[in-house]
Amino acid sequence: MADVAAPMPVGAEDRHAAAIAAHRRRRRLGPMFWIPAAWLAVLIAAALAASWLGLAPPDEIDWMAIQVPPGAEGHVLGTDVLGRDILSRVIHGARVSLTVGFAAPAIGVGIGLALGMAAGYFRGWVDEAIGILIDAWLAIPGLAVLLLFSAVFGGSLSMVCLSLGLLFIPAAARITRAQTLTYANREFVLAARAMGASDTRILAREILPNIIWPLMAFVMIDIPIAIVIEGALSFLGLSVKAPTPSWGGMIAEGREHIEDSSWISLIPTAVMFVTVLSFNLAGDVIRRRFADTREAAI
Amino acid sequence: MSLLEVERAEVAFPTGRGLLTAVDGVSLSVDEGRVLGIVGESGSGKSVLSRAIMGLLPRSARTGAEMQVRLGGRDLRAMAERDLRRLRGREMAMVFQDPMTALNPVMTLGDQIGESLRLHLGMGRRQARDRSVELLAAVGLPQPATRVDQHPHQLSGGMRQRVAIAIALACDPRLLIADEPTTALDVTVQHGILDLLQRQSRERGMAMILITHDLGVVAGRADEVAVMYAGRVVEQAPTRTLFAAPTMPYTRGLLASIPRIEDAPGRRLEAIGGRPPDLVNPPAGCAFAPRCALASDLCRRQAPPLEGEGPARFACWHPAMEAAE
Repeated sequence: MADVAAPMPVGAEDRHAAAIAAHRRRRRLGPMFWIPAAWLAVLIAAALAASWLGLAPPDEIDWMAIQVPPGAEGHVLGTDVLGRDILSRVIHGARVSLTVGFAAPAIGVGIGLALGMAAGYFRGWVDEAIGILIDAWLAIPGLAVLLLFSAVFGGSLSMVCLSLGLLFIPAAARITRAQTLTYANREFVLAARAMGASDTRILAREILPNIIWPLMAFVMIDIPIAIVIEGALSFLGLSVKAPTPSWGGMIAEGREHIEDSSWISLIPTAVMFVTVLSFNLAGDVIRRRFADTREAAI
Repeated sequence: MSLLEVERAEVAFPTGRGLLTAVDGVSLSVDEGRVLGIVGESGSGKSVLSRAIMGLLPRSARTGAEMQVRLGGRDLRAMAERDLRRLRGREMAMVFQDPMTALNPVMTLGDQIGESLRLHLGMGRRQARDRSVELLAAVGLPQPATRVDQHPHQLSGGMRQRVAIAIALACDPRLLIADEPTTALDVTVQHGILDLLQRQSRERGMAMILITHDLGVVAGRADEVAVMYAGRVVEQAPTRTLFAAPTMPYTRGLLASIPRIEDAPGRRLEAIGGRPPDLVNPPAGCAFAPRCALASDLCRRQAPPLEGEGPARFACWHPAMEAAE
């Protein structure tokens, strides 16, 4: 009698392939990620390479082209009231916005992470002391802090980053503390202690890798917020001082000419809008994706 | 001198209602290469006792002033936390109940095993990895060379427990405490894990404390069994003796409540009536008295000491001596 291979059920192979394809589709990030990501990549690259792009210096005045609209010869995005090239100023301004956008959340989350982990892991008086510190910090009006910093240190980029970063500490600390609490009592932490691991080792090797990704999601939310706040500060003249170009400052400079030369304000506004939207959209995709993989792992 | 000597272990926790005495004057010892089974129901203090031995009690725990824990002659209670850390993992290690939570979900198996090799034995990354593969093979994990780079979620419960055992065995400890190592596992897997523990302890000459609520787990595996009730050891004897001739009524009740394959169908399972006592306000006298059929006035007035001749000891005023002969 001849051996007969068990026949594959009709359509099973197709269904299997379809399932794999569906899985791949879900794994794909899609245009809602790639379009914003492409914009951000171009912006970041331009900001980094601003000096080599052959642009006019952002503070160079072109006496022959004062307040020319976009599309003019030599000035793709036009010039402002002083005849400075808007494209160049937008790209140089991006340096300020992006620096603040990355540095401020990094500072805030860095400090908040340390405080939150200490509070959630050691509990007891450490937890209470940090809790009081954070409550006190939250009770100080943020705007007052920003005004104070800018009054005292006046317009240095690092001070803007620091003062904005300080505002992100409380939320970061609270999220970290809550995350740490859920992991500190897991058996694998006890198991690590039973294997002779020290507190520092447990915090760094056992707990941190578990909580770092949820915190990264938080950072993704903070970046656009920091950019918007920096924009508002420089609009008010509280961020970097002229002639360093910043988007908020450019918007402010153009506001008196909004009726006859609206592009002076609208171009930096649009760039800022698109940038913040891009961070939000890309961040959403990454966060959702991250939530999926977390569930798959559990 | 025994490898591990515990004397007058006493651990209490402050609660909203008062001080809860979880372990109440337990003394025991384990010799090199021997297996001690500790049996008791939930809340009898067996896990707290194991934490007390490892020095891993929660911060809120209060320990008795006379409590002593000695490992290889060294007084662990007098040791600084720094020095204790050097012993944990190196000389004494632990396997926990739930392998689903006892492994770090974001670290590879190799990293988790290698961690203590690098910490205690100063091995390099490559060396620790090679040793991890050997350990995974030793605990019976198939394809150890591939598995070493996997994460815990890629393994079944039984496999995870094998990994947890590999972690505990990594530095060749002299004492292994296995706290309900099979409770969270399927019945079919339990047997394999227990055999593995027993074989490893024999091959390495490693002393083991096997904590369980299931007498079936210690039968044939432990050299000696201590039965705990309400924070105390109520009976302790060589395993064979304990199973053949339980003396204390609680032990007898436990043994009677094991279903037997030769029982007639429909036979009612023996159970010990009542519940364990409240450990915040324990009854005066023997803690088992309220549930004991043989309890007398003496039992309710005064707690019996753990006494006995030879290796078998029990704490009871009305022991079933006739069975012991």
